[in-house]
Amino acid sequence: MNAWKTWMLVVGALVTAAAVFVLTSQAVARWCAERLVNPHDDLDWLRREFRLGTAELARIRELHAGYLPRCQAWCAQIAARKSELAAELTAQGTFTPRAEALLREVAALRAECQADMLRHFLEVSRAMPPDQGRRYLAEMQRLTLGFHEQTERAMTPAGHSGHAHP
Amino acid sequence: MNPAPPVTPEDRLKALLRAARPSPAVPPQFVAAVWRRIEAGEADTCAGPWWLVRLADWLTQPRRALATLAVLMLLGAGTGLMQGWMRSHEVARARYLAAVSPPEPGP
Repeated sequence: MNAWKTWMLVVGALVTAAAVFVLTSQAVARWCAERLVNPHDDLDWLRREFRLGTAELARIRELHAGYLPRCQAWCAQIAARKSELAAELTAQGTFTPRAEALLREVAALRAECQADMLRHFLEVSRAMPPDQGRRYLAEMQRLTLGFHEQTERAMTPAGHSGHAHP
Repeated sequence: MNPAPPVTPEDRLKALLRAARPSPAVPPQFVAAVWRRIEAGEADTCAGPWWLVRLADWLTQPRRALATLAVLMLLGAGTGLMQGWMRSHEVARARYLAAVSPPEPGP
C-alpha cells in the first residue's frame, strides 16, 4: 500500500467514525427528547426541575388550573384592544386621541396581566419547598420579565446610540 | 584419433537458432537505472509516517475495525442520551412558559 492509499484509508475511516458517532448521538437524542417529554402535561418541567412530590404537584396543579382561564381572559382582552388600536390607526391614518387611549388601555391590561402572572408565580413558589420556591420565583422572573428588560435596555442611550432622548 | 561426431540435423537447427537470436546491446547506465527503479519501488512501499502505517494496519483488521465502530456507537449513544435529556428539559420548560406566559397576541 502506498502513502496516498494509506492516507485515504485513514481519512476515510476517520470520516466514517465521525459520521457514525454524530448520527448515533443525533438519533438517540431525538428518540430521548420525544420519549422524555410528556406532551399532555404543562407541569412536567416543574416536576422535573424542582423535584416536586406528589402532594406539592397536586397543589400546584390546582393553582395552575385556576390561573389558566384568567391568563386566557387577559390575553383575549389585550388582543381585542390591540385589534381596536390597529383598526383606529388604519381608519384615521393618524394618531388620534382615541388611539392614544387604546394604547394606554393595552399597556394597563398588559401590566395587570403581568401582575396577575407574578402573583401566580408567588403562589406556586409557596407551594414548593422553600429553597426550590425561591429558585422557581427567580427563574420565572428571569424568563418572563427578562424579555421586556432586554428590550428596554436596548432602547436606553447606552444600549442604543442612535436613539438618545434629551 | 577419434573421428568427429556426426552432425545431426537437430544440432544444425540449434546452431541456426542461436545465430538468429538477436542479442541487443545493453544501453548505457542500464544497471544504474535498474537500481534506481528498485529503490523507488522500496520507497513507495514505505507508506508514510510510522503512526499512519500502524493506524492503517489497525483499521484494516475487521475485528478491530468493528470493535472501534461499536465503541463509537456506544459513545454516540451516551452523548445522545445526555443531549436528549437536555433537549427534553428545554421542550418541557418552553411548554410550561407558553402556558403561563403565552406570547402576546397581535393583530
